[in-house]
Amino acid sequence: MLTNDRIGGVLLLAFSVAYGLLIFDIPLLPFQAQAAFTARTMPEALSVLGILLSLTMIIKPSSDARPEVGGFLWKRGAIVCVAMVLYGLTVRPGGFLISTSLFLIACILILGERRLWLILVASVPVVLFFWVLMTQLLGVFIEPWPEFLRG
Amino acid sequence: MLDGILTGVGTALSPINLMMVTVGCFVGTFIGMLPGLGPISAIALMIPITYGFDPATGLILMAGVYYGAIFGGSTSSILINAPGVAGTVATAFDGYPMARKGQAGKALAIAAYSSFSGGTIAAIFLLIAAPSLATVSLAFQSTDYFALMVLGLTAVAAFAGKGNIVKALVMTVLGLMISTVGTDQTQGVQRFTMGMIDLTDGISFLLLAMATFALSEALMQVLKPKSDEDRKREMEAQKNLGSMKLSPEDKREMAPVIGRSSVLGFIIGVLPGAGATIASFLAYGMEQRVAGPIKGKLFGQGSVRGLSAPETANNAACSGSFVPLLTLGIPGSGTTAIMLGALISYGIQPGPRLFVDNPGVFWSVIISMYIGNVVLLILNLPLIPYIARILAIPSTVLIPMILFFSLIGVYFVSFNAFDIQLMVIFAVAAVGLRLLEFPMAPMLLGFILGGMMEENLRRALIINNDSWSFIWERPLTLSILVIAAAILFVPMIMPYLSRLMKRRQEAAGEGG
Repeated sequence: MLTNDRIGGVLLLAFSVAYGLLIFDIPLLPFQAQAAFTARTMPEALSVLGILLSLTMIIKPSSDARPEVGGFLWKRGAIVCVAMVLYGLTVRPGGFLISTSLFLIACILILGERRLWLILVASVPVVLFFWVLMTQLLGVFIEPWPEFLRG
Repeated sequence: MLDGILTGVGTALSPINLMMVTVGCFVGTFIGMLPGLGPISAIALMIPITYGFDPATGLILMAGVYYGAIFGGSTSSILINAPGVAGTVATAFDGYPMARKGQAGKALAIAAYSSFSGGTIAAIFLLIAAPSLATVSLAFQSTDYFALMVLGLTAVAAFAGKGNIVKALVMTVLGLMISTVGTDQTQGVQRFTMGMIDLTDGISFLLLAMATFALSEALMQVLKPKSDEDRKREMEAQKNLGSMKLSPEDKREMAPVIGRSSVLGFIIGVLPGAGATIASFLAYGMEQRVAGPIKGKLFGQGSVRGLSAPETANNAACSGSFVPLLTLGIPGSGTTAIMLGALISYGIQPGPRLFVDNPGVFWSVIISMYIGNVVLLILNLPLIPYIARILAIPSTVLIPMILFFSLIGVYFVSFNAFDIQLMVIFAVAAVGLRLLEFPMAPMLLGFILGGMMEENLRRALIINNDSWSFIWERPLTLSILVIAAAILFVPMIMPYLSRLMKRRQEAAGEGG
């Protein structure tokens, strides 16, 4: 039966195995091979522990609870994630003010808000205020404008 | 010690620090009031701002945010039955029924007075316990620290509750695994970076904390928005609070509850891994038994005792959880874990040396906790009707703001856009794990303790000429590891033992 524990156990087992395989990529100098503690020791122990614990969850799950995913707006969540990724890609070339304002407007729209005044009030002034706070009061330089407008 | 206390008082009472603790309490209350966002998210959101401050000021701000967030969590528990954090779940048991009877103001006042008293009594205990423990722990060696970290991590898992021990352990191991990404501190070799330069310095704790708490919570709300009924309930709750005055009878009923719950809360808070949630539930259970059959029946229907006990205990536990952090450098909860991360990024190593090397920081944090409680009582309580209006902000605006502050908080530390992509990956993974009911706090604790644990183990082995014999040769190390094993295995073995005993008794009964 696919319980929460079993699904999580399988995912974490896969992660622990992949983690264990990547340990072989950690370089060791010849004289370190015999040392009691190397850069591989802790990851090896963790990989074994991870595999054992996830196997325990798969073999002997603590409850029969199944994931409750009914009524979730998956498409909306995925679009918000894409918006965050795009924001990450544009925040530097697009400049803080424009990219952040667009990100906030996009997210507010995705979440279903249609009142124009609210969308504008909750985006542009907030971004401007935050930019002034960081640059003028806390002395953190943030590039406000996109690359093509910079001198 | 007196010099240290005076230095701490001087630092904590400086105008800038007083301002910070006040701002911290306000901001914490705001954030804590938002369902799902607790002290961990609140502190994580503040860390980027505190990087420009001196360590004492930054920590004082965070301590204020911590208290504020707990208070804010209680407010949303009472008004809309939506605890911001697990530590305030028990508050909703009697707070919400009281609010439904039209006594929301009274419930908020009871919560505030109980929190204040619990926090104050615990701050006094902290004042006594922390320096004593710090003096003792000066004798600790790396082997003992390694053992203490094992104890901290196993305790977190053991207190995760029946059926969740393995899950919490897996999450702890996952956190430890993530902590190994980056350049190995001693040998200088790269681990699990997969050739990516952005991972050479490892993953920042702020990124992980923000992604797995604040960002994943916001994503959960994107995935499952509130119903119209919930929204209506929130609007109504913040409109009609009623009187905030307490009758002499209420005060008489609260006084002994506060005394008992403070002591219990503080002791539970000191234990690594236990924290505010367990303290509040234990205090609630204890008071229900102490109240007797008649008054005990009122629990769950708006009892003054039922509200006062968990509120007192969770605040006392918050102060208690600072004892292992400040004296041993080992966080006892997710919140103190994030504060430990912040301390390390300030260049301060918490532990017994903090008491000796940075008495100003040590004492000012303790003193500021008391000031935080005063601020909450005299400023936040009267302003609650106004602060509660945050619940009226539409989620269509609030969620994008949380997303923005989470992403930008991390970006402003590194100015590396890769961090934003990494956050999205961690947040999506955290949402998946939350849906499968995996706890997040053990992972954060494992991540923060991972580097230190490896370092102490390595040092212990070097001191012992690569021999693992320190585990059984040093009595203190052995004792701590035995306690860790007992904490972990006793709850697992107990059901089997009791079943075995029952069978034997039955067999003896049949034989007789």
